[in-house]
Amino acid sequence: MTWLRHPLLHRAAAIGLGAVFLYASLQKIAQPADFARIVYHYQVIGPSARLGYVPANVLAVALPWTEAVAGLLLIAGVWRREAAAVVSLLLVTFLVAVGSALYRGIDIENCGCFTVEGAGRQAGLWLLVGDAALLAVGIFLAAAPTRANPMRVETPEGALTAPLGHE
Amino acid sequence: MPLAWRRVIAIPVAGLVLGLAWNAWSGRGLALAGNAFVREGDAIEEIEVQEARARMEKGALVLDARPRDFYDMSHVPGALPLPEDDFDRAFASIEDRLRSHFDIIVYCSGYGCEASHIVARKLAGQRIRAAVLHEGWPAWTDAGYPVKEGPQP
Repeated sequence: MTWLRHPLLHRAAAIGLGAVFLYASLQKIAQPADFARIVYHYQVIGPSARLGYVPANVLAVALPWTEAVAGLLLIAGVWRREAAAVVSLLLVTFLVAVGSALYRGIDIENCGCFTVEGAGRQAGLWLLVGDAALLAVGIFLAAAPTRANPMRVETPEGALTAPLGHE
Repeated sequence: MPLAWRRVIAIPVAGLVLGLAWNAWSGRGLALAGNAFVREGDAIEEIEVQEARARMEKGALVLDARPRDFYDMSHVPGALPLPEDDFDRAFASIEDRLRSHFDIIVYCSGYGCEASHIVARKLAGQRIRAAVLHEGWPAWTDAGYPVKEGPQP
């Protein structure tokens, strides 16, 4: 299964995952109040009598930009594994939020995944499946470093030396 | 090679900082302490449950914006059903009573529920003023006020 550690596979997967997250962030960034209303519908982080409105509003403001930053890093290939870890954590949060809404029988017409206007995509079982698939890609990118260039080995000092032709 | 956890933390922190900055300066932001169900241009009054009870005793009309099944299970005594998902039909059947009341209160299922704001907005479009009961049905039951079961008001 060495192909699983091929640098090109990781690069392609990171660009794909990054593009999904960057695209997902755009309308939420453009329409924060619309996204805040969707966050309210989930009833996970408020608003409630105990929490008030601030946590849900701050989440609605910060989440899209986190998606955008992580998405851009994945596309650019900078901090790739860490950005994949952040995306994975976000997806775990989404799975918990959607799962708990389904469990509590909360009917969420628009999951707030890619659009924040109108009906959008229903928060249902298929959304959980889709999130889990993206999560698999995220964990794969976060966990597995790419195979080191087979023509090189890393010395303990971190300097690169060529093993071939070496006695 | 382990993950650089500082970077993992730095990414959402950057998201938070960028988000707050965008919210403050883009002109598209929302009031962080405010209720996003209340939209710009809305003139919807939100009242607490004690105020709602006091107004009812003075003859205010109460409307239930939840889906009809919820109303039939249990509702505020005297409330009329005006479900947001069936607004036009329900409105037509009670329009006369709505236009003969000056004090109208709408409620729905609480914090995560937008139906009472939507109904109040639609009523405003018909030139009927209605206040929204803050925290809706849970506030009413938590206060220990009476409820009525079945389809009759």
